Amino acid sequence: MNRHPEFAGIDHSQLVELQDRLREAEETLEAIRNGDVDAVVVGGPSGQQVYTLENADRPYRVLIEQMQEGAVTLSDEGLMLYCNHRFATLVGVCRETLIGESIERFLLSTDIFAFRHLMASSRGLGRSAEFTLLGSNGLVPVNVSIADLKVDEQMPNVLCGVITDLTHSRERSHELAAANMRLATEIDERRRVEDSLQLALDAADMGHWDLDLMSDTVTRSTRYDQIFGYADTVKAWGLPMMLSQFVPEDREAVREEFLSAQSSGSVEIEKRIHRLSDGAIRWVQIKGRTFYLNDRAIRISGVISDITERRLVEEQLRQSQKMEAIGQLTGGIAHDFNNLLMVIGGSIDMLDQRIEKDEKTVRYLAAARHGVTRGATLNQQLLAFSRRQDLRAEAICVEDLLDTFGNLLDRAVGEAVTVHIEKASDKWYCRTDPHQLETAILNLAINARDAMPQGGALTLKTAIRKLDARAAAANGANPGDYVVVSLTDTGIGMTADVINRVFEPFFTTKEVGKGTGLGLSQVYGFARQSGGFVAIESHLGVGTTVLIHLPRTTRPEASKATAAPSVEVKGKGIVLVVEDDNDVRAVARSLLENLGYSVLEAENGSDAMKLIDGGERVDLVFTDVIMPGEMNGIDLVYEMKAKHAAIPVLLTSGYTAQRIAMGELAQGLQLLRKPYSQVDLSLAVQTVMNDPT
Amino acid sequence: MNQHEDADLPQGPYKLRLFITGSTPRSTRAIENMRRICAENLEGRFDLEVVDVYQNPEATKELQIIATPTLVKILPEPLRRIIGDLSDRERVLAGLDLAWIGEDDKAHP
Repeated sequence: MNRHPEFAGIDHSQLVELQDRLREAEETLEAIRNGDVDAVVVGGPSGQQVYTLENADRPYRVLIEQMQEGAVTLSDEGLMLYCNHRFATLVGVCRETLIGESIERFLLSTDIFAFRHLMASSRGLGRSAEFTLLGSNGLVPVNVSIADLKVDEQMPNVLCGVITDLTHSRERSHELAAANMRLATEIDERRRVEDSLQLALDAADMGHWDLDLMSDTVTRSTRYDQIFGYADTVKAWGLPMMLSQFVPEDREAVREEFLSAQSSGSVEIEKRIHRLSDGAIRWVQIKGRTFYLNDRAIRISGVISDITERRLVEEQLRQSQKMEAIGQLTGGIAHDFNNLLMVIGGSIDMLDQRIEKDEKTVRYLAAARHGVTRGATLNQQLLAFSRRQDLRAEAICVEDLLDTFGNLLDRAVGEAVTVHIEKASDKWYCRTDPHQLETAILNLAINARDAMPQGGALTLKTAIRKLDARAAAANGANPGDYVVVSLTDTGIGMTADVINRVFEPFFTTKEVGKGTGLGLSQVYGFARQSGGFVAIESHLGVGTTVLIHLPRTTRPEASKATAAPSVEVKGKGIVLVVEDDNDVRAVARSLLENLGYSVLEAENGSDAMKLIDGGERVDLVFTDVIMPGEMNGIDLVYEMKAKHAAIPVLLTSGYTAQRIAMGELAQGLQLLRKPYSQVDLSLAVQTVMNDPT
Repeated sequence: MNQHEDADLPQGPYKLRLFITGSTPRSTRAIENMRRICAENLEGRFDLEVVDVYQNPEATKELQIIATPTLVKILPEPLRRIIGDLSDRERVLAGLDLAWIGEDDKAHP
């Protein structure tokens, strides 16, 4: 390679470098000459200038024509120098007409001042504001953003604007606002429902719980925690924790209930829990429903309430209903039993008059009479329980009777038991039958003695107790003051099961032959009939206290002393015996005939009326109260009063409390209690015939 | 004439800068060509910057750019400019001192 003398000093590498640079320069020139470049960069005093060739900005034009926003270039005065297709569509005017027009022509006149302000303010920075455009289809809300389009020093001041149609976004905003409003209303509504639900739950004294089966968590309301006796709020717990609060005997059943609720759809249980705060056993009622998602149980939710009080009241109600039913039954038996005793007793009376008596016969007759008397006493106790006996109630002061009771108790309980009598300082009066009270205390004393075979102490005392409506209702009594006569022993005590049944007739824990099972029944019936009740407190191995509650009365009444003569009185006349029981009727006839009366018989009320209506002479109608058929004794009395008021009537019944049921009609009517003796009958007949009311 | 016949081929990182003019078809082609060449020949050892002279005209000054598109190989030295849309692959590879690979490619298309 020949070198120019000028380059003689240049070494090889420099030469290569120079060659490369030359080639680069040649390539550049050729590229420019061939049009292989888009732009030429020229340095100048005001920095590098980029000169683009004619097609270089075409992509931007396309971009601007394609975009969904209107684009304009504006002169200082707001004349449109360029606008894109979208803007022309917005205002509905062809582009050729638009160029050179003022953009203000398409603005609401009220917006023009603000638009000019936007044009003029803070030059150099992009800025935007919202206006209303006069569009081809009416007013269009738009956002206009303006920027200076500074391309060149020599170029006149040009602004570019982008106009965004806000119609859709406004619509969306409105939709959003409407949706928000609906949501707010729904939330309000829901809150109101929740509030009233909470109010209802509070009013019902119910707690709320929600078992999430997915996460095994139970969320509860405050009342729930109160029922369970939780002082501190534990956030949430699972089913096992919830189950652990139930008493061990109930736990498995509760678990199974919740398990089956997942398929059955609901849960309803009444079980016992241990209340944490005081360890008390409480009854709770849980009711709930299962919620499903795609046929899968996800939640069980419901309410809980403490129903201990209710169960207690229900238990007492059941108990009193049971006693009432037994009372009905017992009363019926006693009635029939009295008829039997009537036949036996009456027959003995007649035998007594007809047979020759030696010493043995007299003794047998006496034994038989004694048997009838004991039977009648037993029957009185049955009737006392069923509250169908006559209660000869008077206002008495129990304190005054305590001394008498003391003697009675000493004899009844034997020497191994010490009797204490605690007299109250005040004198309280109550309305009751003193003889029945005496029997009741005696019955209790005998039970107490049997409960203390090794001896012990028996305490009899009186007290006053005020019962409010709630306490009274729990005992099936009226609110008010009660005189409480209590008998306390230090015996073996009773279990709850025994206490529940102790008032039932013939219920006894004593050996066969030792007790009748009627003692406490008499106490119960007597107290109820006096308008009071009996309560029992008993602890195994400690002793038992029976409390007879008798309603207090303020005014003592003078008790009437009735001296009953005990000698039979014979008489004359025709007595119509109305009695459905053949045996009793026969006995009654015999007794009356023994007393010197003539006797007509009728099996029922209707037959009796036929006889009288038929013109038979009758001086006295002696009728049973309870008879089968259309006309019982009471109906007969009504008929007699209406048709034959002059004929006296004597009633008889084994069910003597019937007299109360007869009301005013019964006033002045004599009633002879079955079983009666010949003497009783003679006196009653005499009284009625001599003083027909 | 091939002055790199005896020289070791450069192994170090490539620092490249491509000057373009907005979204013109030529500039777009240049970007695409450059990306492909880098991916095929310089994978993992290149640092490419694309400069739009519209947005940043002053950036042309330092490297004395007079027209776009122009690719500048800043490293390894020597600095080299290649003008055009870079569609002449041979010329680009030669400019980047990667000519031998191009020959290799020709031998095994």
